Amino acid sequence: MKTILAFREEEFAWSHEVFSCVHPLLLPLCNKPFIEFLIDFAILVGSTAVRILCDGGINPIERYCEDGSRWGIALSYGSLHGDDTAETLLGKNRKFCGEERIMIVSGFSFIRYDKRLNYKSLAGSLPEGEWAACPGGSITLSGAPEKPPADGAATPLSLMPLDGMASYYRASMEALETGADRYVLPGYGGEPGCAIGRNVVISKSAQIRKPVSIGNNVQLLGDTIIGPSAIIGSNVIIDRESSVESSIVLDNTYIGEQLEVIGRIASGNRLNDPRSGASISMEDPHLLGSIKKSQTLSALPRKVAHALAALVMISVLAVPFLFLWPLLKLGGRWRSAQIDCHSENPGETISLGKVELDATNALGATASTLSLDRYFRLFRVLTAELALIGSTPLPAEEPHPNAPANALAYRPGVFSYAEAEQWPATGGDAAIVERYHLVHSGPISDIGLVVKAFVNRPHEKSSA
Amino acid sequence: MIITETSANGIVIVALEGNLDALSAPKLRGSPPVADPKTTVVLDLEKVGFMDSSGLGAIVGAAREKSDPACGIVLSCMNDKVRRTFETTNAQRLFHIFDDTAAAVDFAATRQIART
Repeated sequence: MKTILAFREEEFAWSHEVFSCVHPLLLPLCNKPFIEFLIDFAILVGSTAVRILCDGGINPIERYCEDGSRWGIALSYGSLHGDDTAETLLGKNRKFCGEERIMIVSGFSFIRYDKRLNYKSLAGSLPEGEWAACPGGSITLSGAPEKPPADGAATPLSLMPLDGMASYYRASMEALETGADRYVLPGYGGEPGCAIGRNVVISKSAQIRKPVSIGNNVQLLGDTIIGPSAIIGSNVIIDRESSVESSIVLDNTYIGEQLEVIGRIASGNRLNDPRSGASISMEDPHLLGSIKKSQTLSALPRKVAHALAALVMISVLAVPFLFLWPLLKLGGRWRSAQIDCHSENPGETISLGKVELDATNALGATASTLSLDRYFRLFRVLTAELALIGSTPLPAEEPHPNAPANALAYRPGVFSYAEAEQWPATGGDAAIVERYHLVHSGPISDIGLVVKAFVNRPHEKSSA
Repeated sequence: MIITETSANGIVIVALEGNLDALSAPKLRGSPPVADPKTTVVLDLEKVGFMDSSGLGAIVGAAREKSDPACGIVLSCMNDKVRRTFETTNAQRLFHIFDDTAAAVDFAATRQIART
């Protein structure tokens, strides 16, 4: 038996909006990433290999699950198209499937199973076709049964679609309440209904009321009350005299002093009501905040290299700029406008000047050849608002591409990697090369690409 | 880069061997079945050891020039390194990707018949 797990981005688009800090397939249900429940189920039915398919970014899943040796199975990854049928999926993965029986789990749904039951013989004996289904999700078996039909009562199995915050909350609470009896859940606990992770600091005056699940690296300060029905993620601080009841606190969250969190989902500085779907972002970090790992140091060499190169360009281009700019401006051949563009950080924008040069006369052509239309932007590299080379700045009206699935999808620059590589100029294709270099290039190769972009830009203009 | 052309079921299979980079990308773009807009090609990437942005550009550019951009180039047998390059850049959305060349040929042939 082998298993294919197939996901389409449209099924979990809601999760990107609500829980933007985590890839939907890694969204924790009772402190266990969603994808692990599916892998556990695949193992229960006797799968030796699992292939995860998605029509969107899957790199965070691959980094987390790796080759599956942690579970004793072979994990592999692939892509699919949104409109692929089960038959197409089997064709696209023919080598993986071989002659074995295949279980296809499709959709962003929570599988209600019971680890104590024998799904292996059932999955091996059921006829081809749908095993279980719910709106937007299904479990399908393909290939001839391996065993004769099993006798006895039907083994319980059902699917719950995770189509919004309410169903996510329900599934999490269900996993917490049924506890480790039905699912393999993380954490240590001397008694049922209470699982606690590693490096958890619990004040003497804190109260814990079952059922609760507490992740790793958690601090519960004095007089806090946790539970009943509380799920506390990893890297969480619950400050003094606060209580968390029937709520989920996701990873990397700080809950301030003297707060009552009842029936809510807290994620970073967002507090969500799963019943109404309402959500508020707290501006006061003393009430609710996110605990972020600083990325300043890792980006420092690149920022320093870009700033130094920008400084050199500013110095070299200063003389032609100071000579040409007033002449072009006075002659009406230098037209500029301000546009708001996305910054590298989601939620922030930067205002950039966009210059249109009339390159029909010699002065304009010279300015265009020297990329003087980008001269003012070079100063923004010194303040680290722009990279010297990166993505083409995106207008603020468009959605920000730096989702967890594509954490490195966008870093606006004075020059773009697409200009350096002379790729087809259509938006989607330019983004492909920009993403490639955002992941693969370093500070030194960036400088080389800046030179290429500087040389290629006039060529592009003349050939356009 | 070694480029081997064969055919099966009326579909041209172009198998690549070596590194697909700035040096070899023009060779791929110049390959007649890849350059011809009307020919459906299955690109076998099993023996591609490394692919950079120029190689990616050659494949994306060739697909854009096909009369049926979604199925003009069908990819097969990507190794993990090449697959990650496609996924990192989101270029996998542009192609149908198979783990078996014969399955890719069957798919391309079916689509070709449906078109004609």
